[in-house]
Amino acid sequence: MTQLVQAIILGLLIGGVYALLASGLTLIFGVMDVINVAQGALLILAAFLAWTLWQEAGIDPLIGVLITTPAMFVLGFVMYKLTVQWLSGMPASMSVLLTFALALVIEGAMGLAWSTTYHAATPDYFDESYRLGQFYFPKAQVYGCGVAVGVLALLYVMLDHTWLGRAIRALSENAQSARLVGVNVRGVAALTFAVGVATTGAGGSIISVLYPFLPGSHYQWISRLLGIIVLGGMGSLPGAVVGALALGVAETMTVTYISPRWATAVPYVVIMVVLLARPQGIMGAKLREDVVV
Amino acid sequence: MRRIVWLLALLPVLAALVVAGCGGGGETSSGTGGGGTGTASGEPMKIGASLPLTGDFSEPGVAAQQGYQIWQQQVNDSGGLLGRPVKITIKDDQSDQNAVVTDYNALIQQEKVDLLLGTFSSLLNLPASAVAERNQMLYVEPAGGSPEMFSRGFKYLFFAQQATAEHQADLFSQWAAGLPADQKPKTAAYVAADDPFGGPVADGIKSQLEAAGVQTVYSKVYPPETTNFDAIASAVASKKPDVIAQGSAGLADGVGLDRALIKVGYSPKQLFQASTPSFADQFSKAIGLENTEGIFYAVSYHVDAPTPGNEEFLAAYKAKYNTDPPEDAADAYAAAQVLQAAVEAVGSIDDQEALANWLRDNSVDTILGTLSWDDTGAPEQAFLLAQWQNGDEEIVLPDDAKTSDTIVNPKPPWK
Repeated sequence: MTQLVQAIILGLLIGGVYALLASGLTLIFGVMDVINVAQGALLILAAFLAWTLWQEAGIDPLIGVLITTPAMFVLGFVMYKLTVQWLSGMPASMSVLLTFALALVIEGAMGLAWSTTYHAATPDYFDESYRLGQFYFPKAQVYGCGVAVGVLALLYVMLDHTWLGRAIRALSENAQSARLVGVNVRGVAALTFAVGVATTGAGGSIISVLYPFLPGSHYQWISRLLGIIVLGGMGSLPGAVVGALALGVAETMTVTYISPRWATAVPYVVIMVVLLARPQGIMGAKLREDVVV
Repeated sequence: MRRIVWLLALLPVLAALVVAGCGGGGETSSGTGGGGTGTASGEPMKIGASLPLTGDFSEPGVAAQQGYQIWQQQVNDSGGLLGRPVKITIKDDQSDQNAVVTDYNALIQQEKVDLLLGTFSSLLNLPASAVAERNQMLYVEPAGGSPEMFSRGFKYLFFAQQATAEHQADLFSQWAAGLPADQKPKTAAYVAADDPFGGPVADGIKSQLEAAGVQTVYSKVYPPETTNFDAIASAVASKKPDVIAQGSAGLADGVGLDRALIKVGYSPKQLFQASTPSFADQFSKAIGLENTEGIFYAVSYHVDAPTPGNEEFLAAYKAKYNTDPPEDAADAYAAAQVLQAAVEAVGSIDDQEALANWLRDNSVDTILGTLSWDDTGAPEQAFLLAQWQNGDEEIVLPDDAKTSDTIVNPKPPWK
């Protein structure tokens, strides 16, 4: 029983972090049909930025979120203006090609700037835990999960209560109608992409504390994140959260009760089941009723 | 239309970035360049290799590239190989089994290299060595000690380290089994990466410790790309094993297990990790220097080793890269030394079977020590047993190579 509860605790904590990592990816897809394969590389780039701030200026990576997030926002905006905007009107598969190329460029640039060795931010709390009875809560995961909840709440408020948020949702439902009612489609798309990329600022900062990383680490992240948003329903933010928590718990339960060997298969098994039983994902079609039939 | 023009205009910029970004990873060939004091002349001796310069194994891959390049520089400075300048061509296989096969085929068929050198990790050497075997070319590999490598009856394959994976931890197992009764471990947990190296290492320790009466309380295999070890550590800790032994070839998974054990608050009496602790300061920075105390690992190379040629290698490496060489650079250098010894002893590269036969019948002095091989190309020596002590890496066994007289036991609790 103790082990079961502990496995669920660990799964929910890591699931919270996954939710944050997947939120930007699903937002970008929901609004502009762009599958941003570079999201994983951007995440690792943000981790390197957070590590550098921690190493050189002694800024705690979780405080560094306040710097990495705007930095990634600007980078996302520039990326959109230089490359992604030319995708509009092209099939989603083109976005995979373009963003994969961007991911390779970013991976190479990181190799030049930080070398291909492992880096890890180790603030005091990185290996400490809170204890409650027989259970333990690793501090880094707890803080990471807290930041994730904060950022997701901000995203939610932005989408629900601001003009930009309404414009983003309008755009995701029907771009042409949005244009008709006076939404500057290009401007809003650029901001959406930038916001989606900005979420990697917080995500990368958390990763820098949780796991050692190197430029090549982005491959394993992007595959897991794609799994999460397919599970949750591509384009749905609440879906990404539910999908992430489900995947986090499924992974730790598999490790504890079946074998660590099967944990990698969990996202794929889950995706297969979802695609068979509910192809639009757990909460899919909410934002994109016109497209998903 | 304007859009297409824009895209086209951007392409060269992107291409340039990719090439620059990969650190010349696509293909780096550094010839003799006519510089230096070499007296070698004539047609260059072309040596081909493919290394994981990007992807999961990029860290050791780049180190191996450095080892090969240091060797090339030294050989060319001292007259070349059989009087010909050496030109190593290194391709990037991106840590991918398909790419490594393509690379070695291209090196042999298109670039018509004269000799081959191996790649890094059993995972990549398994398919790459098969390409070499098919083309009847000598294949000396610097890192890939999985027993699978040597069970295929290959004639051209040689592994340039001291022993295969299942014997990686022999000195540790013998030491633990031989402890006095009140210190001898009673229970052990085994955690192994699901790759051709990690499993055999853990199995090797397990069979030796079980034979010595140590009970196995946990034994699981995890996928090599695992990052999150919290659930594994939680399960291991609940069994309270005296020994925890991990078989893995990388850094991230070993660090992941240590960090997760620290978080769950469980410190075993003896902790052995196959190669993670050998990543020097990358390892100590990732788990905190104070937490490294007492952790065991097996290693092929030590910078202070009094082996033949090590002084020159060390000096050349430090001059070029301004730091101590990592183990993987030394292993690559040793593989090149083995190739060089065979070529110089036979005196010709036309018959590569003769090179292989010579290696089977002789031993070679390398910076890792003297190496010799059985009929399958598996080496017949033993790894050094190392331990982190007071923030430094020390060799503790065997006696004739040790740099520290004490063995920290039991491992102190995590800080």
